[in-house]
Amino acid sequence: MAFDLLKSGKNKPPLKPKPMEEMPHTKLGIKYKEWCNSHKTRHKWRNIRWAALIFMNLLFVVSFAFDLSILEGSLSGSRLIGFYLMDPFNALQVLATSSTTGYIVHLTMNFWIGLTTILLFWFFLGGRTYCSWMCPYHFLAENTEKLHNYFVKKKMIKEHSFHIGLRFVFWFGFLILAVVTQQLVFEDLNVVGITSRAMIYGPGLILFWVVGVLLFEIVYSKRFWCRYVCPIGTTWSLVGKLSPLTIRFELDKCGYCRDCQDVCLVPHELWFVQRGKATQKVHYTGSDCTRCGLCIDTCGGNALTYTIKGWGAVL
Amino acid sequence: MAKKQIGRREFLISGGVAVGALAVVGVGVKYLDISHTGKQLRQDFLRPPGAINEIEFMYGCIKCGLCVQICPVQAIKLAGAHEGLSYGTPYIDVREQACDFSCDAMQCVETCPSAVLNFIPFKEAGLAAVEKATAGVVNLRNSDINPFEVQKVAMKETVRMGKAHVIKDTCLAHQRKGFKGISRGKDFEGIYRAPDSKVAWATPLKDKEFDREICNLCVTECPIGEKAIVFEPRKRDGKMRPRVLEGCTGCGVCVMVCPTEKPSIVVEPVKS
Repeated sequence: MAFDLLKSGKNKPPLKPKPMEEMPHTKLGIKYKEWCNSHKTRHKWRNIRWAALIFMNLLFVVSFAFDLSILEGSLSGSRLIGFYLMDPFNALQVLATSSTTGYIVHLTMNFWIGLTTILLFWFFLGGRTYCSWMCPYHFLAENTEKLHNYFVKKKMIKEHSFHIGLRFVFWFGFLILAVVTQQLVFEDLNVVGITSRAMIYGPGLILFWVVGVLLFEIVYSKRFWCRYVCPIGTTWSLVGKLSPLTIRFELDKCGYCRDCQDVCLVPHELWFVQRGKATQKVHYTGSDCTRCGLCIDTCGGNALTYTIKGWGAVL
Repeated sequence: MAKKQIGRREFLISGGVAVGALAVVGVGVKYLDISHTGKQLRQDFLRPPGAINEIEFMYGCIKCGLCVQICPVQAIKLAGAHEGLSYGTPYIDVREQACDFSCDAMQCVETCPSAVLNFIPFKEAGLAAVEKATAGVVNLRNSDINPFEVQKVAMKETVRMGKAHVIKDTCLAHQRKGFKGISRGKDFEGIYRAPDSKVAWATPLKDKEFDREICNLCVTECPIGEKAIVFEPRKRDGKMRPRVLEGCTGCGVCVMVCPTEKPSIVVEPVKS
């Protein structure tokens, strides 16, 4: 059963594209373009998500500023009303460095509890859900991305995209670096941690690095850090392989407009929306999906919805 | 098939660039690490209580800032980017705000999830002290021993962040000068609870007025007391002057209260 859920259905032969009379806009009796644009201004999930993201990050800031024991620490490691939470890649790096030095025995019980709790929590919520619902850098990048899109549209810059497997090179690379240099190297470059700390403990010179990465994303490659580098995101995407919370796609409601792929941070996860690509009537997005809900908002036919896999009958 | 090959080629190229970039980062970090080692041995940083040795500290500290948050007097700060690899790690600037043991029981150490601030020595010292104090006591309730207090004092005294030493050239006591007034001026923001640890709250230094015939603020304000620093006459000429003893924890309250423009007593971080 679990194995069935893991299968994406990508290797099966694709279904035939729907004929014109089965397209959603013909059923509604409106023009195709009108149908595509019918939900262009809907931002329900985006607004909910931004509110949640800002709220959680503000909780960090407020907890420090007013000395409240609600959500202390930063995204690298924190305490939620006394319960420890650890950043998983940070924890992996600590484990990597400490495995060769014997430091591993000194790690506290809070470290292990924090790591387990956070892994379980985000596993149920979908792994990379962390990126779009929690990460402050994602929020910055999501908004500067519009600038990038504008420049591309005006043909001022060219879009550069890379192989999605690149992040595994970085993931292993940073772990190997941690072992070789005996330092938590990634934490020095981690724009997520830097942004989080800058918000909570006050800004510093290091913010120039964050601005630099953002600029690179604007002028060279769309969402370069999030898509190809960030090992935190990669860790979450590994965690989310079997996550129950995901996005469900119904072929019958799809109009092949691919608007959802345009707004998606990880368009390869929506491979099945293209005309003649889907192999099943229903598809689920995989572990790279950040569950941001942008595709849900934009879809003219409401073909995409949040769902909890394996609970379809109950819900 | 052709498409797949292009994909693989792209991956190999970008992967190669990525590996190269990582190697550059690695070499850079290693270089900073080596060029930093001299600095490390000088130990510019006074780490929070219970810090393990500097080199291990660097690979254990995850820069979460929980110790910064829990400190009731906000003595702990995170280092900025100009500190190189130490970016984001905690330190105490005792001249601005010393660790005055306001929390009583090493909260920064207890809260540290990666144990670079190691609680075990404190726990052991506290338990040992309680055991020693209560040895032979039949009924703890009827005795006037408060095991909690005993434990707190023992834990405090176990701290070794560094050791203070007096700079004789500028020290007022060494020049037989007294001190009258507010020691660091009206705008100084530092607070402390010492020397009486039974006071509930830390109070601002600027609210305290001193009047000493011979300046001995570092001695009277020390939260540890006579185990750490004493005011005694020098054998040679009977001049009264402060003398730091082995019990000094390096908390830095003496540095914070020192009224001279440049502190006449400084804390040398403990060498690992």
